[in-house]
Amino acid sequence: MTQNNRERLRQAQAAAAKQQRLTRAVGVGAAVLAVLIIGVVIAVLFQNQGKSATAGSVTPPHATSDGRAIEVYPGKAKAGAPVVELFFDYQCPVCKQFEGLYGGLMNTLASSGEIDLRYRTMTFLDQNLSNDASVRAGIAATCADVAGSYGAFHNEIFANQPAQEGAGYEDTLLRDTIPATVGISGDALTSFQACYDKQSTKAFVNTSNELGTQDLLAISKSVGTPTIHANGKAVSLSDVGAVQPTDPDAAAKLLQVFQKAAGA
Amino acid sequence: MTAVPARRPWQEWVTLAARLVLGGVLLVAGLLKVTQLDASVQSVRLYQLLPWEVTAAVGAALPIVEIIVGLLLITGTFTRLSAVAGSLLMLAFIIGIASVWARGISIDCGCFGGGGEVEASQTQYPAEIARDLGLLLAGAWTVWRPRSPFAVDGWLFAAPAPSDDPVPTNEDDKEPTR
Repeated sequence: MTQNNRERLRQAQAAAAKQQRLTRAVGVGAAVLAVLIIGVVIAVLFQNQGKSATAGSVTPPHATSDGRAIEVYPGKAKAGAPVVELFFDYQCPVCKQFEGLYGGLMNTLASSGEIDLRYRTMTFLDQNLSNDASVRAGIAATCADVAGSYGAFHNEIFANQPAQEGAGYEDTLLRDTIPATVGISGDALTSFQACYDKQSTKAFVNTSNELGTQDLLAISKSVGTPTIHANGKAVSLSDVGAVQPTDPDAAAKLLQVFQKAAGA
Repeated sequence: MTAVPARRPWQEWVTLAARLVLGGVLLVAGLLKVTQLDASVQSVRLYQLLPWEVTAAVGAALPIVEIIVGLLLITGTFTRLSAVAGSLLMLAFIIGIASVWARGISIDCGCFGGGGEVEASQTQYPAEIARDLGLLLAGAWTVWRPRSPFAVDGWLFAAPAPSDDPVPTNEDDKEPTR
């Protein structure tokens, strides 16, 4: 073998090896890229699932048209009454305390039309507590709105909140016990249970949490519950706490807190 | 091409450790989040750094990216490029945590899934930043010295196997090393 031949052979081999390495690298690189793109696309699609209304989904009849809240006493509010929005999560112990202390007063003000009370369902505690009880409770309450028992159902959920945070709500409680307590029966019960079983209001609940997070971040600068907004402005919870629920004038004082916050 | 030395320089073992640690943390962080994409999106939102519309995509994509970069680092595939990606992720996390700290927002970092509002006293920003700085350092080292044992790169970018070489492999035939 001449020196020249050998040199040529070696160059050809080096070129072939280089080509092989390139092919390998491009192949593996393309495979990694493909997995990355497919994975991201699936994740984004999967995450978006259930966020938009699908066939068979139900919007609670007393939901506001923007899908943010549910009117607790629809059509009761007097002209100029402040819109009072309560952000809550059914698994939030402080929300239960708040309901116990001020829920009655809020309902009094709303039923007499002094405030336009709206409930805004948040479900972020599901993520912190790694369960789905907030979403299920939200679905149950909004299904009860179809039967016309939203407010009472809402109160009963908090009344039955497990003592230990994170224990969640049993399906039987939400599906059978509470409906019986608030007086959903007969055909209404059948359609309520169908609504709960099919999670017909899930899209509404998810959207409510989504828009709620957005509004809480924009107005209160943090996502926490309970939070109250009056006419889209944050209400200081310490101002609310200054009102003694046992005070005979408590309802009037609470209204003043809301009006002050609303800038009315 | 350099011949594989009988003894690897110690730096290569440091790189092995660095890429395993960074890759392992990214893989675990990604796996813990990938089953809870909603929580991941919520965590990204609580940082209040990105426009609302972007947070959903970032929150959903982040766990996937973490898993893939983690796997690439663990297997030593495209080590330098993967280490650049891993380091950029760490840099982004450090900036995110520093920014919520500076703005006085009280959240759990959400680094390993979960995440949410916590009491101001429960935030662990200095520890979280220190941890991510350490991981950034591991990434930077791997970018600087990407060669390491047990790496797919060793096969991917291997010199031609001597057995394929019909040319007598005299010492004279070899190219000068480096």
